[in-house]
Amino acid sequence: MVNTRKATSNAGKGGRRTKPTGKRDANKEKTKQDILRAALELFREKGLDGTTTKQISRRAGIAEGTLFNYFKTKEDLALYFFQKETKDLIEWFQADAKLKKARLPEKLFAIIYKQLEYIEPYEDFIGAVFFRSLQPHSKLSPLSLESQALRVKYLQFIRQVLAQAEESEEIPQVGDLGAYAVGLFYIGIVMHWLHDTSKGKQKTLALVDRSLKAATQVLKKGVWDW
Amino acid sequence: MNKTRKSYLAYQFQRPFLNDEGAEARRKDFHGRNAKRVRKELASLRGPIMKLGQALSMQSHVLGNEWIEELSGLQMQAPPMHEALMRAQFKGALGKSPEEVFQSFDPAPFAAASLGQVHWATTHHGDEVAVKIQYPAIRDAIENDFKILRTAGLPIQLTGHLQSSVIREVERGILEETDYVHEANNIDFFRKHLADLKCIRVPSVYREFSCDQVLTMSRVPGLRLNDFLKTHPSQELRDQLGIALMRLFFFQLFKVHALHADPHPGNYLLNDDGTIGLVDFGCVKYLKPEVIRCYAQFWSREWVEDRELYEDIVTTLFGDERGAKDPKVRRGMDEIRRFYDKFHPLKQPDQILDFADRKFMDALTQLARTLVSNKFLSPDFLFLSRTESGMCNLLHAIGSRAATTRIVREYAPRNTPRGRKI
Repeated sequence: MVNTRKATSNAGKGGRRTKPTGKRDANKEKTKQDILRAALELFREKGLDGTTTKQISRRAGIAEGTLFNYFKTKEDLALYFFQKETKDLIEWFQADAKLKKARLPEKLFAIIYKQLEYIEPYEDFIGAVFFRSLQPHSKLSPLSLESQALRVKYLQFIRQVLAQAEESEEIPQVGDLGAYAVGLFYIGIVMHWLHDTSKGKQKTLALVDRSLKAATQVLKKGVWDW
Repeated sequence: MNKTRKSYLAYQFQRPFLNDEGAEARRKDFHGRNAKRVRKELASLRGPIMKLGQALSMQSHVLGNEWIEELSGLQMQAPPMHEALMRAQFKGALGKSPEEVFQSFDPAPFAAASLGQVHWATTHHGDEVAVKIQYPAIRDAIENDFKILRTAGLPIQLTGHLQSSVIREVERGILEETDYVHEANNIDFFRKHLADLKCIRVPSVYREFSCDQVLTMSRVPGLRLNDFLKTHPSQELRDQLGIALMRLFFFQLFKVHALHADPHPGNYLLNDDGTIGLVDFGCVKYLKPEVIRCYAQFWSREWVEDRELYEDIVTTLFGDERGAKDPKVRRGMDEIRRFYDKFHPLKQPDQILDFADRKFMDALTQLARTLVSNKFLSPDFLFLSRTESGMCNLLHAIGSRAATTRIVREYAPRNTPRGRKI
């Protein structure tokens, strides 16, 4: 009896947490998305530094003061952007039945490419944010408390993808460390991608493909066989 | 070091001579299995490792034929692309996904192509097309390969005279293959110039669905060699196709002055009406008139009695410094003459050559070995010989018979005086 009650109340809470049922929450989320959309548009048109908060609030249709209630800094905006990206990424992957059956290098390639595709229209913005995130005090830093939830969510997702490959014995057990390795690899790839001037960023495509295949091969052998 | 370079040339030269039959036998021995395993390992990694494969395949004097055979698979092949990568590359190249560009698109590749892979698709107008998609950034990988080849000091200590020009020629050829716009131009060129040769079918290019890394062409009918042989074709059809192939070669050489120079059997699609579909125009050689003249004179054998003409030919082919007095060059020329006299006699133009005869293929291989060991290699000649021996291999596999001298005379210029451009 106790268990049932607990489960029921949890479900209620969970529902409220993930999907705002109250009108106020829904409005709040909508405003956030409006601001993000307006900001991203302006970043693309005028660049990160050329965009003022005034312009963002005007395009989002809110008062400039209201903007700060939602996002205190551009970093907060970026954090929200990445939260949304991760959420969309996971949903997209879960919905792609064909990709789920693919081999690990293809899965990881598709995931990384999806992420790159997502940030591609906002290259300037991402570039600026990326270098700021390497500062220790940045909220976007991989070590910051603010980005922890986002990081954990992403790593859990990658962990799941790797676990499937472990189960099918495509790779040996790599555990959490494997997910961290993919996370770090992605950061490196974004760095390469930002500097890649080749057509269609094809050098990055080749690098991702080759690295993933090589890494899978190495894992299969279980040793670094130089 | 010099040996390494030489053997690379030797490899390039021998490649067309490594026929399926011989390779099959070799695969059965231990070394063959070993080589195959290594190639598989390398093939699964490819990419930067392709360099290693290339480096290894150059060591033919150390590794032997079974290694060259296996590693040759690495030479011009890019790593296979899985669907996610293929889509990313297609979108990067044409700005749209395959489904946006075509009415239908088969995500599973139908064949590996030079530097990429080929997919079947249907245009919105209902045309069936073949779409060739290149592996990303392959040009950089190849340029790096050659950079390494050079900076490793391989070219420095040379006793040969033309080797670095051959390397340059090979690099130029390979790099050219990475530009599909160039290939599209080649297709247009051959489609126009081979129009009179009714036994040959050339695809047409869809420029609106092509760029430097994606090439869309009309589908050319025909069976690949192995599938064709399974249909147990009649001897008559075999002869007909053989004659078509020979006509194609000599027509290109003497009338078009350009060669489809990739003798891979998969590039010829055989039809039961005796026509041949010609595909993959990445490797095309536009020939200098003086080289064509020399080749015509190899055939006419006029130089045997004419010292001046002999000197003219070897100077044209090998330059002044190699000179007409080099005994190795003379040995090469004599070997060519003996070979031609035996199989393409001038005085019996109706003599039928049976390409299925093992003796002919052995003699051809022997000729190639003699030419390589006597450094009888110039860049133009290399391409020519590769293509001609590729054709002979194909004729052997098909089992054709043809009056070779008569066919050559259909197209070869008569009485070609020295120095005169044809």
